[in-house]
Amino acid sequence: MTSSGEPLVLGIESSCDETGVALVRGNDLLFDAVASSMEEHARFGGIIPEVASRAHLEAMVPTIERALDEAGVTLSDVDAVAVTAGPGLVGPLTIGTSAAKALSIGLGKPLYGVNHVIGHACVDQLSGGEFPDRVMALVVSGGHSSLLLVDDIATDVTELGSTLDDAAGEAFDKVGRLLGLPYPGGPHVDRLAREGDPTAIRFPRGLTAPKDQERHAYNFSFSGLKTAVARWVEARTDAGKDIPVEDVCASFAEAVADVLTAKTIAACRRHDVDTLVIGGGFSANSQLREMAAKRCAEAGITLRIPPIRHCTDNGAMIAALGSAVVRAGVAPSGLDIPVDSSMPLETITV
Amino acid sequence: MPVLAIDTSAAVSVALVSETGGRLAARSSGERRRHAESLAPLITQVLDDAGTDRTALTAVVAGTGPAPFTGLRVGLVTARTLALAVGIPVLGVPSLDGLAAQAVSDLGLDPDDEVLVASDARRKEVYWARYRVVAHEGPHGVPVVRTVAGPEVGRAAAVAEAQPGAVAGPATGVAGARAVVVGEGAALYPDVLPLDDDAPLLPDATVLARLALARRDAGLALPTEPLYLRRPDVQEPAPPKSPALG
Ligand SMILES: Nc1ncnc2c1ncn2[C@@H]1O[C@H](COP(=O)(O)OP(=O)(O)O)[C@@H](O)[C@H]1O
Ligand SMILES: [Mg+2]
Repeated sequence: MTSSGEPLVLGIESSCDETGVALVRGNDLLFDAVASSMEEHARFGGIIPEVASRAHLEAMVPTIERALDEAGVTLSDVDAVAVTAGPGLVGPLTIGTSAAKALSIGLGKPLYGVNHVIGHACVDQLSGGEFPDRVMALVVSGGHSSLLLVDDIATDVTELGSTLDDAAGEAFDKVGRLLGLPYPGGPHVDRLAREGDPTAIRFPRGLTAPKDQERHAYNFSFSGLKTAVARWVEARTDAGKDIPVEDVCASFAEAVADVLTAKTIAACRRHDVDTLVIGGGFSANSQLREMAAKRCAEAGITLRIPPIRHCTDNGAMIAALGSAVVRAGVAPSGLDIPVDSSMPLETITV
Repeated sequence: MPVLAIDTSAAVSVALVSETGGRLAARSSGERRRHAESLAPLITQVLDDAGTDRTALTAVVAGTGPAPFTGLRVGLVTARTLALAVGIPVLGVPSLDGLAAQAVSDLGLDPDDEVLVASDARRKEVYWARYRVVAHEGPHGVPVVRTVAGPEVGRAAAVAEAQPGAVAGPATGVAGARAVVVGEGAALYPDVLPLDDDAPLLPDATVLARLALARRDAGLALPTEPLYLRRPDVQEPAPPKSPALG
């Protein structure tokens, strides 16, 4: 499995607060450089788009230079430029696409505007190898929770369902906030949940009632769950009792993992898929990992999760998807492509 | 041996200018919201118009504002990255300086005349700076101007108020010198910022290129840091609703 004859693709990611630049040849990652403005946002309890955009402008050229340096290649070695065209925040996306267009002009090499969410699934090809003919992808992060049926990562992706309200990571962050944990709360809730009893409190499982089986079989909803946690904590506080934080976190995390894995495995069965890829920053969550591993083993499904550094936003996922579309012979993007903050999940390239 | 100049501080202006300051090709678009879509195609068109290969470029020049943030950044990140790709320097020039230099040529201003430049800062404000003319024509055929106040952002009325004399008419200080107001920001608030009849309204990338060449040859540093002049709008979050853990 050698990639030496394959095109060298430079990928740029800037949909949120990470400026990512990576170089990929075939399914081999040469280097992945990331600069993050997360620390500047932490005190605001959320991403401030203008703060992120300013940071992207300053980080873009140094991050490109670092990626090339560490990969031991020069810009003249690059055969194609891939960039996140959406979904994401308009200001940040605009920096990455403008930089990618400038590289395309300056190098005389083709440009590929690609979908960030599909990149979260595709990045697994860098560590787990080329996908089999049909895989299921669950992409879960601070901004997304989507179930994708992938027949060909470069040309054929079907969105089976997505969250109707909060993303999984977002729900964790909100619960973290109502428990007074630092931002982002996700990893803290995870840590506390590991010390609690997941069966202590029975929190609701969104969109799992029989009446939801038709229209929302593969959609998710986490805002009712978050409200249920808030109510439970409030009632307990009003009653003058202590909050068993570990049990609250464990029971909440259990509810999220339960819904995500139950719906995903049902979709695998329904579509006769035997490989599941979980990507996105929330795939770091231990409760989800544990439950997915157990249920996949029971169902005879191969579970693939990229290494954690590839689950959060990075340039490798965009270079990986760029590499896949170049190899598939997909037509390059025009220099006039817009960014699309709510790019449909079936749009792989623009 | 041409330089490519880009300005996205208001609309989009792109020019290809020879090392001696001659205009080889120029294009612009009135686009005010989607700079990122129009800029890259304009660059390739300008190169095509002049039959210039990208590898022949010797520098990339960018207007550094002040300007609305998103559009301004499109020009700056494009200029910086294009320069990196071709392996040439990137030179920054404040976009308002370009309008001041244009005013000197267009209005036939003389040394000691003063130019108040105002551009649209949205939110009922203007970006502005005041300049004194040093020479009608300097190296690369471009006027030499010196900034005497600004750049700053503020309400048009307050800007007019803050100037030492009348914003248009005889200039304060030097006998016989005149003061003029130029730029789209003045066109928006004519009752307080009386725009000169033949005043340039928008920055022209050709003039920015000439200014950059003259300043580079004079050994000046030409940073491409954006002139934002405003901080990001941010609000510190309210404390959590539930005092669960205090
Ligand atoms: N171990 C974890 N458990 C729960 N949530 C987590 C964990 N690690 C990260 N997260 C959450 O994942 C999200 C970050 O993922 P990322 O892919 O960077 O999201 P996005 O870019 O969509 O905001 C945040 O909401 C964060 O709290
Ligand atoms: Mg993401």
